[in-house]
Amino acid sequence: MTARVAVLQFPGVNCEAEALRAVERAGLRGELFRWTRPAAELRGFQAYVLPGGFSWQDRVRAGALAAKHVLTGALAEQVEERGTPVLGICNGAQVLVESGLVPGGGRVDVALARNRMPDRGGYYAAWVYVRVEASPCVFTRTLAPGTVLPLPVAHAQGRFTSRRPGRLSDLLAHGQVPLRYATVAGDAATAFPDDPNGSDAAAAGVCNAAGTVLALMPHPERALDLGQLARAVGGPWAERRERAREAGGSGSGPGLGLFEGLARHLEEM
Amino acid sequence: MSSRGAAQLWVRLRADDPEAVSALAVARTMDDGRGAPVSLRRFRLVELRGPLPPRAELEALLARSIQFYNPQKEAVRLRLAAGEPAPLEAGERAVLVVERGAVRRPAAERWWAAVTGRAVEVREGVVWALRFAPGTAAARAAARLAVLRDRRRGLLCNPHAEAHRLAGEAVPMPWLTLTRAARGGKP
Repeated sequence: MTARVAVLQFPGVNCEAEALRAVERAGLRGELFRWTRPAAELRGFQAYVLPGGFSWQDRVRAGALAAKHVLTGALAEQVEERGTPVLGICNGAQVLVESGLVPGGGRVDVALARNRMPDRGGYYAAWVYVRVEASPCVFTRTLAPGTVLPLPVAHAQGRFTSRRPGRLSDLLAHGQVPLRYATVAGDAATAFPDDPNGSDAAAAGVCNAAGTVLALMPHPERALDLGQLARAVGGPWAERRERAREAGGSGSGPGLGLFEGLARHLEEM
Repeated sequence: MSSRGAAQLWVRLRADDPEAVSALAVARTMDDGRGAPVSLRRFRLVELRGPLPPRAELEALLARSIQFYNPQKEAVRLRLAAGEPAPLEAGERAVLVVERGAVRRPAAERWWAAVTGRAVEVREGVVWALRFAPGTAAARAAARLAVLRDRRRGLLCNPHAEAHRLAGEAVPMPWLTLTRAARGGKP
């Protein structure tokens, strides 16, 4: 039976259509789950996606209010009781961090702080490269460590950081940073614009210890097809795009792999 | 110009503040029996330090610029000395929240230097004014609501990216400069 995946929409979330499409492209059955539905109905799903946007207009802090919502509480129960996978993208990642679901354990252990960029501030939107790291993360399980993916970022508060010095490096060492910002050649990013927000350890995504809950700032759901890649994107994915274009077609983009990883995980459960 | 001085600009929306409304609503759902606030207001606190002109001239300068507040939608109270009251209502406790490493406002400083020829430091944070029911241990309740610990506890300040400070009966003047994060210090 095809696994059901709930795409949660809080007011202000605006990437739910792309997230649904990504889930379905991976062979899963996606369903939009708005904040007005009874939280108990979340139990009928095998995975959850928290898409990007601006839940509650980023009031107080990005993700802060959605993290307290009854749906997030129900989702946390499913994570704890059943190990249900959750992918939080951009604002969804902020919700997971603010609720303590990432890096896990219940306590809020990191923040997604305002971007740090030289000589500029505010919202930043661009295509970047991320490198897959060794990790138990279910979303990257079909991607070999070292794989480089071009993905778009679009955020003002995406800098993974912690008041505990070295916390992100520690998470990286324990396999809880499955995706890091990188150069097109696959070297870990050390400065803007390769690292678009100044994240500690160049972290683009952080997961829980089990690898089932991933907070990811780039948007894989906006990179499902090669034709979506920006012209400025280089490397092997650009070569694929050109070959597909010359052949008169398209092809799967770099973001799809993360949803295929989820599908593989659910098949085996 | 006067000698080195300090000024606080307390800025609040003239209309109902959606951030404060939502924060209060969420704080009430988190109430663990130890007292949620009965009211909650939000101010942007802008602090200037440096050679400042007299009050009237200072008010005119602040109103001229788009860097400090929007007079069409925001109301302001200028505070120049510790003896001047902050715009808090009776029984309100003030919690200051600042972003670590992001307290200075370079654009406002550049504007000031361009217009006055003088250098001032401009800092900004958020003040949450909380009022609790009589009999509540207000300082403790404010501290509980301030610091985010987990999904059920804390809201106003994620300590991994922000710092907070609770005011006592009197609001310090200056205040932003006193916080470690506002000075650029490590968490």
